[in-house]
Amino acid sequence: MAASVTRPALSSLCKINSNINGIYSLTSFSRRISISSVLSTSAVTTETEAAGRGVRGQRRSKRQAGEPRTERMTVDQDWTAVYPTAASFKPSAVPLPVRMGYPVKRGVPPAKKGNLELIKIPNFLHLTPVAIKKHCEALKQFCTEWPSALDSDEKCVKHFPIQVQSKEFVSAGLSLRNPDVRIVTLKVKLSSLNLDDHARKKMIKLSEERYCKDTDTLTITTDSCPLRQQNYDYAMYLLTVLYHESWKTEAWEQEKTRADMEEYEWEDSPSQKKVLDTLLRMRALGAKDEVEEGTREELLGQPAVQEYRDTMLRLKNEGETEENLQQYKEAVKKLFNI
Amino acid sequence: SSTDGPKSAHFDICSKNLKYKFSENAFNTNILKRHSGQYYTLPPTHIQKLFPYGLPPRFQLQIKTFNEGCVMVRPPALELISYLKRADYSKPPLRYVLYGDIGTGKTMSLCHALHYCYSQGWLIVHVPDAHLWVKNCKELLPSSSRPSRFDQPIQASQWLKNFKITNERFLSKVQLERYVWTKRESTEKGQPLGELIDQGVNRMKSSSDVVGAVLRELRLQAGGATEGEGAFKLAVAVDGVNALWGKTSLKKEDRTMCEPEELTLIHNLRKMMKNNWSGGAILTALSQTGSVFKPRSAYLPSELLGEEGFDNMEPFVPVSVSNYNEKEFESCYLYYLDRNWLQHPHSRSEEGKKELIFLSNKNPSILERLCAFL
Repeated sequence: MAASVTRPALSSLCKINSNINGIYSLTSFSRRISISSVLSTSAVTTETEAAGRGVRGQRRSKRQAGEPRTERMTVDQDWTAVYPTAASFKPSAVPLPVRMGYPVKRGVPPAKKGNLELIKIPNFLHLTPVAIKKHCEALKQFCTEWPSALDSDEKCVKHFPIQVQSKEFVSAGLSLRNPDVRIVTLKVKLSSLNLDDHARKKMIKLSEERYCKDTDTLTITTDSCPLRQQNYDYAMYLLTVLYHESWKTEAWEQEKTRADMEEYEWEDSPSQKKVLDTLLRMRALGAKDEVEEGTREELLGQPAVQEYRDTMLRLKNEGETEENLQQYKEAVKKLFNI
Repeated sequence: SSTDGPKSAHFDICSKNLKYKFSENAFNTNILKRHSGQYYTLPPTHIQKLFPYGLPPRFQLQIKTFNEGCVMVRPPALELISYLKRADYSKPPLRYVLYGDIGTGKTMSLCHALHYCYSQGWLIVHVPDAHLWVKNCKELLPSSSRPSRFDQPIQASQWLKNFKITNERFLSKVQLERYVWTKRESTEKGQPLGELIDQGVNRMKSSSDVVGAVLRELRLQAGGATEGEGAFKLAVAVDGVNALWGKTSLKKEDRTMCEPEELTLIHNLRKMMKNNWSGGAILTALSQTGSVFKPRSAYLPSELLGEEGFDNMEPFVPVSVSNYNEKEFESCYLYYLDRNWLQHPHSRSEEGKKELIFLSNKNPSILERLCAFL
């Protein structure tokens, strides 16, 4: 034991020095000894602890943690210096009082200090608008200028009606490639294409679910070829084929029935026939009704019939609502003079 | 009613205006308008004759409990009756379709209008619920007259019995044409309607065809002879008319679904719905409650009738039936109080009334069911 070693040394030293200086030096010497003894005992104990008492667990010397970095942050600091790249969430470096996780019983979600949930999730603290601006500034030297003539959205759509979208992926892993990169989406508005009535209806029928009625957009997504270039060519080819085919009229298109029609038309509909029948019957009951062209046109031209036609079109094309029904009721009442 | 002072006085005054007896000029337009929102009592003889099965089942229970049948006068019925009054009966019949959410009173309004027709002496063809003819039929016989159709003898004979009860006075007046049923049986020309109906009731096998013949005869003869004994106006009332063009839940022998078109009763009723005859009116009501394969939220005509039904029924006059308004709710509440139906003491207070309004949203059928518990 080192302690026992120092003591006889102390006593011998005391004897030696007692002649030289006096009590003062003795006391300082003893103080130094005591300090060193304190220090050495602690050091010694740890060594002995490490050697002998490893089974019980370690009591490390707790180095006090300094104040977190958040305390020293100013409001107008440069955040890009705190999070220059993607990094996990550091509670001592993020000055926000964030809470996350399942609440403790009758309590609140746990705080950010030591919160594993916050560390697990991806964060975008490195992509603040300021950081993006800095990235843009750095990238500007590699870009060309935006054409000055295209300063509004309408002009862009007018000159470039076809929009082609595809995704890029950057990842660091065993392989740099991502198979989703080959997907190409082509969007075009049918109003910007040169289509007449028949061609437009045929195109909508051919494209089925790829056409969105609300935005009048045809969306073609291709992913059947392995390369993006090939998929883009295929999408353009599909658009061309659709356009040309919809302008052609086939022989079998003559057999289009009422069930195939997109909108409800009142001419030649069962509704029109019924109204005609009823009106004819109302006019000449008992007499043979031979429908002459003149009477038919005359009957159909009546304002009451026209109103009935309008309400029927509205009912069928726009769907049925209370107001539509009320209008229909008024039209029927006028037709039959109630 | 003597427990709380001022309220009981108010309620006594109101109860005098609550009901009025059905009388000869009860359907006069001015009287009806004045009594809008109030109840009028149906005479018991009329209930027995006109509505053996026509009224909603809960209302029939209510009649038994209260010992009287009281119907509230409401705008949809008033509208229908006014159309019926103003229509020209030398022209093809107009079709009226009552539509509305569940429990708002479509069947009751239909019955009210039908009562008007009955009191004016019309001949009533009333199908209380067409849905009963497209589902839960125990017997489905292949038709004797046409090979591709199916008969429903039980439903047909039931309907003929009810028809007989309702239209007794016409049974001897209407003359028939010649019909051949089997090799040995035939109905000669000039025989009265009553005999045909008796035959249909007794011989179940041909009852569906008898129904078809009856309907056809009535169609041909309604309003035909405007002078003389045989003149009558025909009121065709069908509740749940969307059953005619919907789906059935009946299966044929080879386990495939039956189409409504293949049922004789439905086929004949559809012919009745067309407006190629004259001298009457067609009153119908849509119904979701009994319908087959229709979602509960559907209540508009085209939703329930479907495309085919809508095309067949139009041009029709849609009449909308909605929940009670303030005044009608008030009068219904007072009626229940008057009949001592609301036993719970809290229901007589203002707060109780507000609770009832909140819980039922002034829907007639829900209110009736709620009050049954109190």
